[in-house]
Amino acid sequence: MVAVLAVAGLVLSFLRWGLKKEIASIWATYKSWLIMAPLVFGFVFAGRAPVIIFFCLIASFGFKEFARATGLYRDWWMTGAVYLGIIAIAVASLIHQPQGAEPGDGWYGLFIVLPVYAVALIVLIPIVRNQVRGQLQSIALAIVGFIYIDWMFGHLAFLANANNAYGYLLYVIFATELNDVAAFTFGKLFGKHPLRSNISPKKTWEGAIGALAVSMALPWAMRFSFPQFGTTQLLLTGLIVGIGGQLGDLSISIIKRDIGIKDMGAGIPGHGGILDRVDSLVYVAPLFFHMAGYFYGLR
Amino acid sequence: MTWNYEPAGDLDKSLAERLRHFPREPDISVYAARSLVALTIRCWLRLYHRFEVSGVEHLPLEGSFIMVANHASHLDTLCILSARPLRKLHRAFPAAAQDYFFVSVPRLAVAAIVVNALPFGRHGHIRNSLEACRHLLESAGNILILFPEGTRTRTGEIGEFKSGIGLLAAGTEIPVVPCHLAGAFEAWPKGKKFPRPRRLRLRIGAPRKYASLSPGKESSGRVSEDLRSAVVALSEITGLNSNFPS
Repeated sequence: MVAVLAVAGLVLSFLRWGLKKEIASIWATYKSWLIMAPLVFGFVFAGRAPVIIFFCLIASFGFKEFARATGLYRDWWMTGAVYLGIIAIAVASLIHQPQGAEPGDGWYGLFIVLPVYAVALIVLIPIVRNQVRGQLQSIALAIVGFIYIDWMFGHLAFLANANNAYGYLLYVIFATELNDVAAFTFGKLFGKHPLRSNISPKKTWEGAIGALAVSMALPWAMRFSFPQFGTTQLLLTGLIVGIGGQLGDLSISIIKRDIGIKDMGAGIPGHGGILDRVDSLVYVAPLFFHMAGYFYGLR
Repeated sequence: MTWNYEPAGDLDKSLAERLRHFPREPDISVYAARSLVALTIRCWLRLYHRFEVSGVEHLPLEGSFIMVANHASHLDTLCILSARPLRKLHRAFPAAAQDYFFVSVPRLAVAAIVVNALPFGRHGHIRNSLEACRHLLESAGNILILFPEGTRTRTGEIGEFKSGIGLLAAGTEIPVVPCHLAGAFEAWPKGKKFPRPRRLRLRIGAPRKYASLSPGKESSGRVSEDLRSAVVALSEITGLNSNFPS
């Protein structure tokens, strides 16, 4: 990671001062990476509980952006219910499995079934408040907010309970973000054919294929992250990150396009909002989680 | 089917800009943080400063109103906010100096999240700031907290009241509630880093209305003087009270 950031810094410095190119926006993006990367990796190395809390905090900031973008934030009850759901994700990831065949850290059953309880709670709110007008929209937005942004991203929090948590987490985050950067770079260099012109006009097939190629190669290059993985698992990891990352990116773009905004927020200079940064992880996290769980068990 | 999305107006602004922006568009997490901090501050005031309030019954139950008080320390705002029930906290807006509180990010965070301050331009921009105050008072249930001296006292005496409050109140039905906070100057005078454990006492007076006055320069001066004498009168009652150590 340090090497990648250093090389990127050198290349950008060369472009900026060597060739006098106008790259102020990319430079801002790069500077934000320099702050984000140590922060994330610092939390991952701080241990199980800090990393679970960190990911749940990111999930709640992500939801906050979603709520502010859609207008759901005016409904305190709905947003309150979703924030409660995020706390439930943290609790389910932190506590010990109470009983059952597979004891260990993290209550897997509760974590997996959380969307059911969350939907029940969200649907209950209009009933308690005796309201009808506009409630279907609020309910739907709250459910999307909880399941898509918080619970799916929250798989990273539960992944901290895995045997090989450090390797998994560091690889998934690093590979997914690298996949984003690769898509951007290949798109800038060779991009011609739009990938999904109505959703995100700047994304191209060339960028997507370039990113997929990088993501397919990376599991072999970073095999030390998961020494137990065989060829099948490495192949699947590459596909999940390479394709899932793009899909995650596009699905947040659908939300943004439908609302008619450019970024979800302006929290990270050069990136937009937090949700613009973690959008790919939302898709990759659960896929990788279940792939690893299927072959090796999560605890 | 088309849905009706209403994104927050300050969506594309950075964090510092969003904190500076007024009126704010907070979500429940900001309210939760503010309530939690307010609870802590209330405990602190009661325990460390033995904070007492009297005259809460004078506060109007409905509609918007203005609270004015003498200004001796940063504790003043916190004390006046603590006189309100916690659930009404988010509708109280203390006017805070734009050139002091709305500059650095830590102060911005305190002003916007903890205190819910209205940025008030002391130099220039006064007209705009008064306009923002008027706009705030138009919707029922809002409380504007003003320190008409414009700055914290250096001597402990109550200084002259500026005429801004008069411009707001003269010729309107908006009630103005005079308050006096005793002990704040002794507890945390301007220039000291930390507050000392001195007793604080907030006395709330009867609300006044200036509907009969016609708005203008002359009447606003009279309003300011009247309010100042009301605050001074409250301070004298406090002084006479034997259970309050001087």
